[in-house]
Amino acid sequence: MSSDSQLAVYTEGLTKRFGQRAAIDGVDLRVPRGSAFGFLGPNGAGKTTMIRTLLGLTHASSGSMSLLGHELPAQRAQALRRVGAIVEEPRFHPHLSGRENLRIIAAVRGPEVRERIEPALRRVGLSERADEKVKKYSLGMRQRLGVARCLLADPLLLILDEPTNGLDPGGIQEFRVMIRALVEQEGRTIFLSSHLLDEVEKICDHVAIVDRGKVVVQGAIAELAGAASGSHSEVIFGVDDSSRTLEALESDPAVREAHRSDDGIHVVLEGDPQSAAAINARLVGVGIAVMRIEHVRQSLEQRFLQITSRLGAPAGALAESQAGIQSDGQASTPTNSQAGAPTDSQASTPTNSQASTPTDHETTGQVQR
Amino acid sequence: MSTLAAQMVGADLLKLRKKRSTVIWALILVLAPLLIYFIVRAAQHSSSPLKYEPAGGQHGYEDGLQALALFFGPLAGIMIGVEAGAGDAATGVFRDLVVTGRSRLALFVARLPAAIALCWAVVLVGYALLILGTYALSSGAPTPSGATVANGIGFSLLSTGVICAVAVGFASLTASRPPALVVLIGWHLVASPILAGISSLGKARDLLLSQAISQFAPVKLNEGPHGMSVTMSHGFAIVVMLAWLVVLLVLGAWKTMKMDT
Repeated sequence: MSSDSQLAVYTEGLTKRFGQRAAIDGVDLRVPRGSAFGFLGPNGAGKTTMIRTLLGLTHASSGSMSLLGHELPAQRAQALRRVGAIVEEPRFHPHLSGRENLRIIAAVRGPEVRERIEPALRRVGLSERADEKVKKYSLGMRQRLGVARCLLADPLLLILDEPTNGLDPGGIQEFRVMIRALVEQEGRTIFLSSHLLDEVEKICDHVAIVDRGKVVVQGAIAELAGAASGSHSEVIFGVDDSSRTLEALESDPAVREAHRSDDGIHVVLEGDPQSAAAINARLVGVGIAVMRIEHVRQSLEQRFLQITSRLGAPAGALAESQAGIQSDGQASTPTNSQAGAPTDSQASTPTNSQASTPTDHETTGQVQR
Repeated sequence: MSTLAAQMVGADLLKLRKKRSTVIWALILVLAPLLIYFIVRAAQHSSSPLKYEPAGGQHGYEDGLQALALFFGPLAGIMIGVEAGAGDAATGVFRDLVVTGRSRLALFVARLPAAIALCWAVVLVGYALLILGTYALSSGAPTPSGATVANGIGFSLLSTGVICAVAVGFASLTASRPPALVVLIGWHLVASPILAGISSLGKARDLLLSQAISQFAPVKLNEGPHGMSVTMSHGFAIVVMLAWLVVLLVLGAWKTMKMDT
């Protein structure tokens, strides 16, 4: 097994079966160190089973894995020494105080860990209430105590399973800030499972989308959710004359498709997104005023919906369509870009206007080839 | 014991001794029957000294020791052992202990000394009450010798310690407190005495844990299902106790090491 030391989590063909059913099925996961990595999927997709398998809470049926460069299960103790984890909701002995619960874990981790209890409590803002029994804690406080328990390991890797479940909006925001600080200021790696797209997009910089036990795509969010890359890209031209623009684009070989939308002329380009500049020059050359050019950026939500909308397709076909993405961890082969309802867009070509955020692109006329 | 092992045992002991309901019920189990026994017997003796013996003295000690070491003390040991064996799994904390990377076997082993330590502390409180009643309420009747008192301590600790350890193993096997409590208390209070009372079972009754433990009593025990029904050599009794301990502890350790959490 090649467990790259630059990877916090590495799995190859990892499978966990319960009887005939594969809860996780041949998963190849690559989690870069120092990243906030979202493990995104619908409920029942196998996220918690994946985490439990990584942590040795259940045995893998087949495949190999490593945490922080240590192979599992052979080097389990070394692998988990610098790992903190919250699996499902954090559990504690309710009859003990927060501080006593941390003492329990510190005692098991080793003699040197006890001195980390107070800093960990301060870090999560529980110093004042650390002597109250945990049964009196709110869910938010228990979540914070769970993070404090993770911090006892001085973790290089934190594995958090649906960490914002049950938190109120304020608690969620607080939690996000804390997680980002752990990554950006302290260089720790966060592996966060969630079924909430918004949460993953706001906290994480890398993501793997999982369904039915399979990782169907993984890579940097900016690349996955970015411009529809590969064989085509999408651009919106804000022009003064839509009809003349559509006529001008009809014969342009760089244009795969163009149609009128609320925000202007929505153009699907063949290949290189830089051809938008040439189209701009051509439109200006025929006397059309181009007020703005927006590069349409897909959100992670769109990407997720594209993928999950195809889950009825045979797994092999889906895996094949995602092969380019999985092989190098980068989005390179879009499989099903649709022009419907982009929710995020960015100006990418110099114009005299800023990108707006189109929410709907109603087709009123189109050119297609 | 290494620092780490001592810390782990200390952590388990912290969990147990802070579990007030368990500690209070264990203390009630070992103290209340003795208190009731001495109060009632003292009242009887004071009302009719010729008809009723003193509450304390040798006779009171023998009755109290049998109640403490063979009946109520083991019940306290079962409660504490079950809490130690199944507490982590029942609260869901066991998975957090596992993800520290510490071996599951080490986590299991740490439960034993912690449970036995608390069990013995509770039993010693009960034994102190027994000695107090024995001497304070003797009313001039013969009292047990120092050697008998010392042997009584050893017998109480042996009996409750073995049963507490068996309870740790069984509760670790079930990983759930209610079924473990029901089965162990049912066995101790009902099944084991009934089996001990069936004379047709013959030597098969030697395999009962309670009967094996009874062989080490420093005083003559009452005969009957809750006392000593069969006699066997000390060597065989030790083998029976070890067999119970090994089987239940190995099963508990196996489950702790293998279970999904």
